[in-house]
Amino acid sequence: MLKGITIGQHYPGDSLLHNLEPRIKIAIITAYIVSLFLMQGPVGYLAMMVITLAAVFIGQLPLRLLLRGLRPLFFIIGFTLVLHILFTKGGTVWLQLGRFTIESQGVLTGSLMAWRLMLLVMTTSLLTLTTSPIALTDAIEGLLNPLKRIGVPAHELAMMMTIALRFIPTLLEEAEKIMRAQMARGADFESGSVLKRARAMIPLLVPLFISAFRRADDLALAMEARCYRGGEGRTRMKVVLIRLGDWISLASFIGLMVVLVWLGI
Amino acid sequence: MNKTVFLTRVGLLSAVSFVLMYVNFPLPPFPPWLKFDFGDVPAMIATFSLGPVAGVVVQLLKNILYFLFKGTATAGVGSVANFLAGVALVLPAGLIYRRYRSRSGALWGMSAGTLSLVVTMAAFNYYVLLPLFAALMDLPLEAFVEMAARTIPQITDLRTLVILGVTPYNLVKGLSVSLVTFLLYKHIARIFKLHTRQNMVE
Repeated sequence: MLKGITIGQHYPGDSLLHNLEPRIKIAIITAYIVSLFLMQGPVGYLAMMVITLAAVFIGQLPLRLLLRGLRPLFFIIGFTLVLHILFTKGGTVWLQLGRFTIESQGVLTGSLMAWRLMLLVMTTSLLTLTTSPIALTDAIEGLLNPLKRIGVPAHELAMMMTIALRFIPTLLEEAEKIMRAQMARGADFESGSVLKRARAMIPLLVPLFISAFRRADDLALAMEARCYRGGEGRTRMKVVLIRLGDWISLASFIGLMVVLVWLGI
Repeated sequence: MNKTVFLTRVGLLSAVSFVLMYVNFPLPPFPPWLKFDFGDVPAMIATFSLGPVAGVVVQLLKNILYFLFKGTATAGVGSVANFLAGVALVLPAGLIYRRYRSRSGALWGMSAGTLSLVVTMAAFNYYVLLPLFAALMDLPLEAFVEMAARTIPQITDLRTLVILGVTPYNLVKGLSVSLVTFLLYKHIARIFKLHTRQNMVE
């Protein structure tokens, strides 16, 4: 049940893409997504695909890694395509079976939407592939910092997320161990109605929660022993700065997107 | 409660929530994209043991983590919907339990949470989610209705689609999460109360 889960997809490297400042990277990907939805037709999508593939090349990422990320989404991509073929009409009739027809417009729009979904997923996964989860958390804290004035606890949220990230692998391993232990005693987690599954979860959840609470309290004690007292006046071991090169990358990318959208392709 | 203990407990509960969300499974009478998971249980535990704010934060962190790790086919719409559903379930439960700290208070809280989950998600699907998905996929809304009508013939328009397609799922979800939380809470309440006391002594 828990087998084959890899937490996080970070693919370490030392490329231009990896070294881009994470906040800038998030901004660039947001610009990409917005532009993708403003594109009109196949020429625009082709341009965006070239950009994505170029990024994959620059980041020295194996293409199969990105394709593997698409696998869980085959269903929704196929679903979009099928719905369009069934319900979008227009253009020439390609196939007619009684009242049911497949028309060119349906196939065309369906393929375009499936293409757009694939680009969307591949490009957003570039972010998690080239940035470590901790760097991403820091970036989110940085982006939330201006909102502190209206009462958003940016530091606390980032700290809780870092803690969660740190303990996800530990807890997964523990859940796996508890599950095996209970299965050795004849527990069945994988079949039955919701009610049966809900009951079967109890012997798994009780030890998991107890261990989580115990770890949380130990961690709190350890943090306080090291004088943790919130984000106020806290300094960092690694300070991430946005360098000139990052700004230039962002500006040129947004420029490119504006030109592409303005061309109306 | 000590602020650091609050941070670490919410962090750990978010991690448990994420782990449980990973172990999701489709449930036969429902369509395969409506998956079940017990990721809401830790949020419910948080809302009872640490207050409604903690419950909401667990839901928030769970969805951010899931979004970062699993990527998205819907530009984050799915994560936002899941977060909203989670808050609708956990917030009323926490608010009621804060006022009435007893077994029946918890039961009333979870019933109110389930009801609020069902109502919120029906309205959200009707007014926001389904139209937004339709726009995202460049499809007319009627396509969803017709598609659903093939499996459930009683579905004739968007209203019946929400009532027959979305509401039963959320009802089952709310009830099963409440049931697991109820069965679980008495086992673990003792432990974390004990731990809090130990910390205070130390």
